Parts: sequence; structure tokens; C-alpha cells
Amino acid sequence: MFLRESGHLEGIEINPLGLINKSVSTEVPQGDILIEFCDSVLGKSTAKLNKSRNDLHKALGSEAVSAASAIIGNFTKNDRIANGLGIPLPEMVMKQTNTLRDELGLNRFGSAMNSLRLN
Amino acid sequence: MDIYAESEYPTLNNISVIHQQQLIQFSKPGYWGNGTQRLEIAKFARDSGIEAGVLEKPKNYEMADPKNIAPIIKHLVKTVAVEPQIIDEKFFRKIIDGGVSEEEYTEIIGIVSKTTNIDVFARAIGVPLPLFPKPQSGSPSNTRPPEATKEDAWVSTIPIGPSGKEIGAELYKGRPLPYILRALSLVPDECRSNMVLESCQYSELGSVLDFSYKHYDCLSRPQVEIIAGRVSALNECFY
Repeated sequence: MFLRESGHLEGIEINPLGLINKSVSTEVPQGDILIEFCDSVLGKSTAKLNKSRNDLHKALGSEAVSAASAIIGNFTKNDRIANGLGIPLPEMVMKQTNTLRDELGLNRFGSAMNSLRLN
Repeated sequence: MDIYAESEYPTLNNISVIHQQQLIQFSKPGYWGNGTQRLEIAKFARDSGIEAGVLEKPKNYEMADPKNIAPIIKHLVKTVAVEPQIIDEKFFRKIIDGGVSEEEYTEIIGIVSKTTNIDVFARAIGVPLPLFPKPQSGSPSNTRPPEATKEDAWVSTIPIGPSGKEIGAELYKGRPLPYILRALSLVPDECRSNMVLESCQYSELGSVLDFSYKHYDCLSRPQVEIIAGRVSALNECFY
């Protein structure tokens, strides 16, 4: 939801399917480079991480490497807090994202039950 | 000392200082654990990432002493650190039924999540994982905020609004904060430090629904949200 709304303000029709399926473009500028960086930071290969970090640096500059790293770290934290403590999405967000969740297959996540059990 | 001094990339928003403060907080007594116990939890979370191959072991790194951590706590820490996608209510109940209180559980989730944050950030910018400080002396408070109540999460939280009383007013400052920022409030210090990390690394508190808000000059808001969304998809986090 945040992704689509933030895209509208910048005049971009964002395709959130690209978050799940890397063969689909999100339509966000340099989105593919950012997604590759996320994957390599959370992956096992140091060589892939070094390459994706260099690619991001070339595409968006040195501050973007630091900023993207901070956001990845933050959501690494938040995902563990959310999954670990069983917090649900607000009812309003659940209603607004019904179609989107189906399209992205998010309801299959184990943590989906924390929200689905209340709705 | 700047813990990210070796970085080739400029660190932003005072993150070096904030992460250093977070490491120091691990070394101090909390609600449940003393400084030694909390550091052992943080070390075991890191060790789990190293063992799983998603973190590089730093030079001169001293691993957690397995004798210092009960098997059920090890199971909790390792799962949260490297397999957060498999956690469900059955897992939570098993840990609680194994003798871990909901306050202890919440504090451990806080320590592990924040350790992972620091370690992932360091790995992402290409610097060694920062060393943990020495433990500080003192006893845990064992103080549960009486305002904490069962809401919609598995663990109790301090509610927003009048029922949160003074502690709620102090923590939330009247802001309509999302559940993720209240989730650790059963252990208020864990909640406070999570808010500091959030406002450093992602968004000023209370700004997240303002889609024109930009936390970084170097990334557009859609670029920020692409990163957030992809990480959560990889961690299979529905929230």
C-alpha cells in the first residue's frame, strides 16, 4: 500500500508484483538494482553482495548504499519483531489490501495467520 | 570510537552513534536478563547468522558460551535470528509452555531483532561486524508495567490512549503509532530503543503515512518502499 501510494505522488504506476517476482519490473527507477542489493545482503554469497553493492553505488551514489543498508537492517528487525510477537495488520489495511494480497500470494505466509485470524 | 569507521560509504543520520548506544544497552541489565545474559543472547543471535552462512565471522570474535544459555532460549534465539518465517503461534506457545515468561520472550525478541539489524547493516556496507562491549554489572528490574494488557498480539502491550496511562503517554507522546512500534512495549526500554532505530533508519515517527515525506535525499520514497517490501517478502513477513 505504501509503495503504490508513494508512487502515485511521483507519477509512477508501481507494480508490486515485482517485489515477489524478480522477472516483473516494479517500474520504480533503479528498482531492479535495489532488489538485487536486498537479496544479496540477506543471501550467502559475499561475491554477489560485493557486486550488487558496487552496482548500487554506480547507479545511485555512495549515500544510497548507506541508506539502503539502513533500511534493509531496519526491516530485518521489524520483520522479526512482527513475526516473533504475532502482531496483526489493522482491520482497515486488511480491507484495503484484499486484492493486492491475493495477487502477491501474501496470504500463504505463515505470519498471515496473525492478521487473518482476526478478520 | 566510530564503529563503522572502516566504511567506504558515508554513514547517515548518526547511525554509528545510535548503533553503538544499542550495543551498550545490550550490555546493561534489562527487565529479564543481566548484562552478561543479554550479551550472550546477542552473541548467540550473531553466531546463528554466522553458522547459517549469512554473516561473516569477524576477526578475534568471541562466540557465545553455550553453557550460559538454556536450550529453549537457544531455540528461540536461533529461530528468530535465521528463520523468522517459520514462527507461528504454536512456536510461541511452546516457548512459553517451556517456562519462558512473556516479558522474557519480548525482551529476547527485542535483543535478537536489534542485533540482526546492526549485523545486517554492517554486512551491507561492507565492514566487519562491530564488537560487543563488556557486560555491565547490576540486576534486572523484573518490573512489568501494570498498564500492559492483552491486545491483538501474542504478548501484552501498552495500549494507545488513556488506558496506557503515564507510561503510554511517555512512550507514544500522543502519536498514532503503528503496532510494530508498540509491539515491544511490555518491556518499555526495548520499545524506546526500537523507536530510536526506526527514526534513524527508516522514518521519523508519525511521518510514515505522509507519502510526500522523504527520510533520505539520495532515495525517493518509492525506492525506500521497494527495499522495505522486498526485505519483508524475503522474510515472509505479512505485517
